[in-house]
Amino acid sequence: MSETVKPPVLQRIDHRTATAVRVIGVVAAIFAFGFLGTRMLDFLRDDDANRLLVVLSAILLGVVGVFVVFWAMDQVVDWLPKKIREGARPYVFVGPAIVILSVFLIYPVINTMLISLRDANGQDFVGADNYRFVFTNHSMLRALRNTAGWVIIVPLIAVSVGLGFATLADRLRRGEAVAKSLIFLPMAISFVGAAVTFRLIYSYRPSGFGTNIGLLNGIWQGLGNEPVAWLSQQPWNNLFLMVIMVWMQTGFAMVVLSSAIKAIPTEIIEAARIDGASEWRIFRYVTVPSILPTIVVVTTYMVINAMKVFDIVFVMGNAETNGTEVVAERMIRWYFISNHDGRAAAIAVVLFLAVIPVMVWNVRKFRQQEAMR
Amino acid sequence: MMKRRILVSIASLALLAAACGSDEKEGAGTTPATAAPTTAAPQSTTAETTAPETSPPATSGGGENTGKVVLLSAGEPEETDAYQKIFDELINAKTDYNIEVVSAGDFEQQFQIQAEGGTLDVAAVPQPGAIPALAEKGQIVSLETMGFNIDDLNALLGESFVALGEYNGQHYGLPTNINLKSMVWYPKTAFDAAGYKVPTTWDELIALSDQIVADGSTPWCVGFESGGATGWPATDWMEDIMLRTAGASVYDQWVKHEIPFNDPAVKKAGEVFGQIMFTDGYVLGGAENTPDIAFGDAPGPMFENPPKCWLHRQASFINSFFPETAKAGVDYDWFPLPPIDQEGTLYAGELSVVGTNGNRPEVIDFLKRFIAQDVQCAMGGVQASSRISPNVEVGESCYANEILAKASGILTDALKTGTGRFDASDLMPAEVGSGSFWTEMVNYVKNGPDYLDTALKNIEDSWPTS
Repeated sequence: MSETVKPPVLQRIDHRTATAVRVIGVVAAIFAFGFLGTRMLDFLRDDDANRLLVVLSAILLGVVGVFVVFWAMDQVVDWLPKKIREGARPYVFVGPAIVILSVFLIYPVINTMLISLRDANGQDFVGADNYRFVFTNHSMLRALRNTAGWVIIVPLIAVSVGLGFATLADRLRRGEAVAKSLIFLPMAISFVGAAVTFRLIYSYRPSGFGTNIGLLNGIWQGLGNEPVAWLSQQPWNNLFLMVIMVWMQTGFAMVVLSSAIKAIPTEIIEAARIDGASEWRIFRYVTVPSILPTIVVVTTYMVINAMKVFDIVFVMGNAETNGTEVVAERMIRWYFISNHDGRAAAIAVVLFLAVIPVMVWNVRKFRQQEAMR
Repeated sequence: MMKRRILVSIASLALLAAACGSDEKEGAGTTPATAAPTTAAPQSTTAETTAPETSPPATSGGGENTGKVVLLSAGEPEETDAYQKIFDELINAKTDYNIEVVSAGDFEQQFQIQAEGGTLDVAAVPQPGAIPALAEKGQIVSLETMGFNIDDLNALLGESFVALGEYNGQHYGLPTNINLKSMVWYPKTAFDAAGYKVPTTWDELIALSDQIVADGSTPWCVGFESGGATGWPATDWMEDIMLRTAGASVYDQWVKHEIPFNDPAVKKAGEVFGQIMFTDGYVLGGAENTPDIAFGDAPGPMFENPPKCWLHRQASFINSFFPETAKAGVDYDWFPLPPIDQEGTLYAGELSVVGTNGNRPEVIDFLKRFIAQDVQCAMGGVQASSRISPNVEVGESCYANEILAKASGILTDALKTGTGRFDASDLMPAEVGSGSFWTEMVNYVKNGPDYLDTALKNIEDSWPTS
């Protein structure tokens, strides 16, 4: 209202001072923030700093900081001229995420691709040599073969066994929670912990080196056989390693699928029963189609996990002599032990490219399901 | 127009602020490294060499005295705790800085990360093969830059050992630990009771092995399993034999790849190794099973009654894997692996390497104190330790453990006379020394004598071309 009273000149001055105040405020805020970030938090870098204090400041900075940043940006947007205000707001809100994503994801990906074209020290350009190595070296070829095995076998077994358990547990009158907890339990163990446990299960001592303490050799000898060095039986030792991941992941598949099964409306199942469908037909034509989106998500998760498997293989002995190499294990090996940055980066890129189709398939499948609803 | 200008100015200010911020950070982080002028550092350190016992200058030299030096070690925590105590008593109590020994289970990774990130003070590196790459990238600091006199170090620590850290005429590694590899352990009481004699030649060693087989027992206990590093004990065998069949100069050529890996000289060593591994009844459990026997479990059967095996070739640290009740000199003892065509002593050890963050007066002072006779001698006094000093001034009397005293005598001789050689696999490029050499030796013992040519050719093919 007041704008109509004021003469145009005054109006312009008003506008200008307001703008100046805003600019100064923003600049001050940016400098204050920069100062805070570089100076006041220096004590966090001190190794002897109080742990609790460090943790508290991290939480405070993380939670409150994010809130403050978004609030401040919202304010800044409010100062913008009306015409572009609402147009700019979404970009301002997405901005920090894009910046963080670029710094921590997009930049490393591009840099890895560049390094993969360079030599062991990441200095001289060598063209496609590192990729040639990935697809010709006999140990790398074994790694690619083994990883393909992991990607197919582990999700297949873990998801089908998990689905079976989930379906059967759903029928239990009593003890469903206990049964499910027992199967879910291995999920709480780290990969390395599980691998160490299974090392003991597969343990082997040749004659002269004392009794065999491994569970598997105990059973095997109980059946009247000679003890076997399980972990060096190529190519079966790969399966022995996959068992560990299946053991750990089945519980996860079961829990997720079980909750999906419980979400199926009972009317549908009852209707099927009344129509005289057998339990198998209900499972095949009602249960599975209803929970298909969940199965897809769980399977993708497992596929990606199997693609990235590293800890289990690394703990279970020298992968190269046992023929149990996998892609991620080769990457770590070439980077940290053989110190060849170029080859390690090339392996990383191959792994990265291999994950993309799985993600695309996952998203597509999910969209189809959404569209059907 | 105006609005856009405001937006642009805000954006550019934000960028500017961000740039300033990061500049400040980087500046703070790299000051000690970049402000380490090659002219200032030697001055301060020569001052120190003239008066090494006085407390070091706190502010001069290539950076500030931060009061703390972190030594990254590949040793087990029990071991590093013992050294921490010695450092506390002999260094920390006298100086205005503190040494902190950090034991890293994943040493190779940690060392690499810290060196590349510029946060490394000092690391005791067991694999000198890693040095050239880091030196080329400028991620470690040479001893010359820090004002050390290489001639003095050669005289004190053995020229062949100091030379392992050399790259482009500069030296990057200070030997701070050594251990003897050419040791054959035996169960002394039972050995003497059976009337066996310690062999002094290779033929006597083979004769003894045959005698043990004839007596209905098994001479050798061998185990190569070591997790991701499975195969390294087999490479030690090869190196020990290579040094004795081909001699030190051919050994050096082999390490530097001046002769191919499938050279007849290497094949000869492989055949002698095969003689031990593949002769019927020589190896407990059979050669093909040795890659599945943990190297630490391997000597176990030697301590049964009667012993299930009588000989075990392994480095000086292995007695920490012996039964706790076994007494050195009574239940077990050792003899040097006998010469074949010539004498030789195989050893391994650590070279202390200084990262870009470590070019500071207190780090230099620490290294000088670390290799000095008193600290090195005190380290020998730790009962649990298998640490032997590369300092030739450290006498046998320093060692609490009789086994180590004897080993140190042999090593000191080898360092003085130059007949000792460092573990070849730790000097070769990592692709070979921590890769194909391990793998192919395992394949060799698994597949038998006929595989030797394939094994050596595969290793030769894996040698990096650049």
